[in-house]
Amino acid sequence: MLKKYKPFLRAGAIDTTAYRFNILIWAVITVCEVACMVFLWLAVYRSSESGMDSVIHGFTYREMIAYVVLTTIFNFVTYNNDTLWNINTDIKKGTVGNYLIKPISYRGKFAATSLGSLLTMTLMFGVPLYAAALVTLGVLGFLPGLSFPAFFAHLGLFLLSGLCASLLNDTISYIFGILCFYTSSGWGLNSLKVTLISFLSGTLLPIAFFPKGLRDVVNWMPFAGMSQNPVLILMMKYDLKESLRCVALSVAWIVVLELFAKLLFSHAVRKVTVHGG
Amino acid sequence: MIEVNDLTKVFKKPIRGNGLSGMVKTLFSRKYDEIRAVDGITFTVPDGEIVGYIGANGAGKSTTIKMMCGILTPTSGTVFIDGVEPYRKRRQVAQHIGVVFGQKTQLWWDIPLVESFKVLKEIYQVSDADYKERMGFLGEVLDITRFLSQPVRTLSLGERMRADLAASMLHNPRILFLDEPTIGMDVLVKEKIRLAIHALNKTYGTAVVLTTHDMTDIENLCSRIILLEKGSVLYDGPLKSLKTRFGNIKTLTLTVPAEIRAETAPVLSPEVAVSEEDSRLILRFDADRIPLEQVVQYAFRDLKAMDMKIAEISIGDVVKTILEQQEAAHAEKV
Repeated sequence: MLKKYKPFLRAGAIDTTAYRFNILIWAVITVCEVACMVFLWLAVYRSSESGMDSVIHGFTYREMIAYVVLTTIFNFVTYNNDTLWNINTDIKKGTVGNYLIKPISYRGKFAATSLGSLLTMTLMFGVPLYAAALVTLGVLGFLPGLSFPAFFAHLGLFLLSGLCASLLNDTISYIFGILCFYTSSGWGLNSLKVTLISFLSGTLLPIAFFPKGLRDVVNWMPFAGMSQNPVLILMMKYDLKESLRCVALSVAWIVVLELFAKLLFSHAVRKVTVHGG
Repeated sequence: MIEVNDLTKVFKKPIRGNGLSGMVKTLFSRKYDEIRAVDGITFTVPDGEIVGYIGANGAGKSTTIKMMCGILTPTSGTVFIDGVEPYRKRRQVAQHIGVVFGQKTQLWWDIPLVESFKVLKEIYQVSDADYKERMGFLGEVLDITRFLSQPVRTLSLGERMRADLAASMLHNPRILFLDEPTIGMDVLVKEKIRLAIHALNKTYGTAVVLTTHDMTDIENLCSRIILLEKGSVLYDGPLKSLKTRFGNIKTLTLTVPAEIRAETAPVLSPEVAVSEEDSRLILRFDADRIPLEQVVQYAFRDLKAMDMKIAEISIGDVVKTILEQQEAAHAEKV
């Protein structure tokens, strides 16, 4: 049955690289952003009590810089789907009907496209970027936690958690996309999704910096597994046991969210109104 | 086989206020208008039949089709496609039906046509042998082989429509829903499409539900028609009986001398309606109530006709008359 989705996997893999100019612009913007974050963190550490030697919430300034660089690469490689926008367009243009009359699942179509795109991004950009970043940061001593050969186990778990993060992101995008059936517009929903994820996934600020109560809640939410946890697994800030817990949590959330998405879709599709014609 | 029972679809439409204040009001409280797009329709289409599904714009044709192929869920009533409800088991039904919406293409815009077909082959799990056989058949009846390697966006409207039709037939559906497949086509393409539908029906016994505003499509293809008006079935039966619904209506078109005008012409009987068009006289009457012979004599003798054409009423005229009557009846009620 999965064979039906092969064309979408292929399309996702091919389309990702179709817009080279986009990627170029992204690269320029991101380098600037990373630089800003690095200077911001340097200022934070410099002005703290023990200066550059301080350890804030378990992070030295070197680790913090490594964290910023690695989450940036991680987000670039992992979050490349346009699921929400594509659903929004399908609803606005009425093309959602084209998929509803085909013997495929709407969710499956997006999941396949998204996986195809993850595959291309990982091979084309992930491998060289991670390798360059790890070697550079390692040589500069910014990754003190790294030790061999345990690193290879962490690398494996990192790849697995990256796959989970991509699926989580796609499922959440899909859920927000299906909400467009009710709102008829994806704009507000997209902003909400982007803000939620970038805040709660620890991209803006590691979750360790959150106030105690919030921290405990966020650690059990799906978002931590979408950016912070995979990077901390790679940096070996988590031991093997903690890493496994993170991956298990992500898998559990994928199951829960997919079930929710299924229920939501079967409700939303009853509300479909394809106008005109 | 399609079974439709007391099918109803009600759309809720928010009533929007006018101007800025109206807009703000709509933001906080919404009132809804209920539109009964389809209102208690019942019919059955057996295997292998071609049914013309006709009616004015907004009569509910497309809405019914969308419910029959599982895009829309009925407000009440049921649809069964070979015993399965399409809006409940969407994917199961989708495997056995083909759908074309004349207004929208289902092909992938940027990739060569043949690639779209290959994607559909995988989605519908068509075997290599079947695929080859179908492409041979469709390539011939729809004449699409020539532009298979072109991206869909470069195709002309006629080519694109033929490609869309081929795409909907690729997996050998048992039922084909065609929603205005000849819209905007020239006569030659229309002819090709009709022949293809006919060939498909003959070769594979595919049932076809066809909506169209082109009565030539109906007369060439359909043995049965369902006429829809304001969401209800107005007529369901053989094409022939609809034609004689208003009796054996005939029209005579006469070329007459310039001094003979419709208003001043001598009157034969109130049964014969006289009108004028392009300086020719048109006589319209029921041949069962006043003999044709008598009208012809009157035309030559009293109207000094120099030439004459006798025509039966067309199905388009019948439909037009029925719809006009409905509208008049409706206007009286209001």
